Amino acid sequence: MAIDRELLEILRCPQCKGGIRLTPNEDGFICEKCRLKYPIRDGIPVMLIDQAEKI
Amino acid sequence: MDTQLVTGVAGFIGSHLAERLVAEGHAVRGVDCFTDYYPRADKEANLEGLRREPRFELVEADLCETDVAALLRGVSTVFHQAAQAGVRRSWGKDFLSYARNNIVATQRVLEGCKDARPARVVYASSSSVYGDSDDMPLRESSLPRPISPYGVTKLAAEHLCRLYTVNYGVPTISLRYFTVYGPRQRPDMAFHIFIRAMLEGRPLEIYGDGSQTRDFTFVSDAVDANVRAMTRGTPGEVYNIGGGTRTSLLSAIDLLEEIGGARVKREMKDAQKGDVRHTLADVTRAERDLGYVRRVALKEGLTREYLWLKERLGK
Repeated sequence: MAIDRELLEILRCPQCKGGIRLTPNEDGFICEKCRLKYPIRDGIPVMLIDQAEKI
Repeated sequence: MDTQLVTGVAGFIGSHLAERLVAEGHAVRGVDCFTDYYPRADKEANLEGLRREPRFELVEADLCETDVAALLRGVSTVFHQAAQAGVRRSWGKDFLSYARNNIVATQRVLEGCKDARPARVVYASSSSVYGDSDDMPLRESSLPRPISPYGVTKLAAEHLCRLYTVNYGVPTISLRYFTVYGPRQRPDMAFHIFIRAMLEGRPLEIYGDGSQTRDFTFVSDAVDANVRAMTRGTPGEVYNIGGGTRTSLLSAIDLLEEIGGARVKREMKDAQKGDVRHTLADVTRAERDLGYVRRVALKEGLTREYLWLKERLGK
């Protein structure tokens, strides 16, 4: 399933509203400030704070 | 290419709407936060067809927290179907979820639209805004006086839509759905409950005396109204979307027995607080301004829902 590249670039951290970056193997987004990783599961970016992994 | 945004895309109406938009050649961005109001597996099943479509993308996000601007990027129409649905559970401490997911979430979408300036915002409202009224059929000018907290939250969000139109020119259209039914109907809704009980050989529990009536609207008619609202209708306005198949619960059960080919046992229970007695929509405005046409009659619609649930339950 396609993920729009532009969307990936402009998504923000739902907690701090800051920028996030895609992980090198494209399995999630990292927010450095909050030290959270939001997963991409099955092609779906999961932008839910309570599903994010602490890193 | 312009994108259409469907919130609540994993739900009953949202998933059908997204499919229709994709079929018509649109790129569709869907968002859903998969609340646990009913099983995630049901919602994933709703999305099965869409997940295979290259022009469909899905974001799992909570409208009360997410970056709405990102969701709205490149979007020409916002179909705001996401909500905490269900009249019966809107009492007590469960109300917080209704206030949050119906009022706050809508406000966040509208605030985002203030800046993003989509061409249209179509909001899924509800006949619950009317409450128990003697004005039958219900017209959009009838005084809305909800008798459930759920109805209050849907009405509040409707008012937010209108005032963002009036104050900021966000072009909103609110559609007051009258008891939508059909394949993928939520498991807390009457026909789904009844059909499941029939298929599983259990008696049907009926709240009240069963003579309460509803203006049932088949899902494809509701979807059609949304698509028409993309380009027609007056921003800031509200339109009744009713199926024109006003039927009592008992009559509907008779119909289900015909469809299912077997009689069922009926168990009468006390009427529930917040349930209205009757609904019937006057759809003159929707016909005139949206070109709304009701196409699916009750027996056909119920048959489709029956067959869908039969297959989903593997019966």
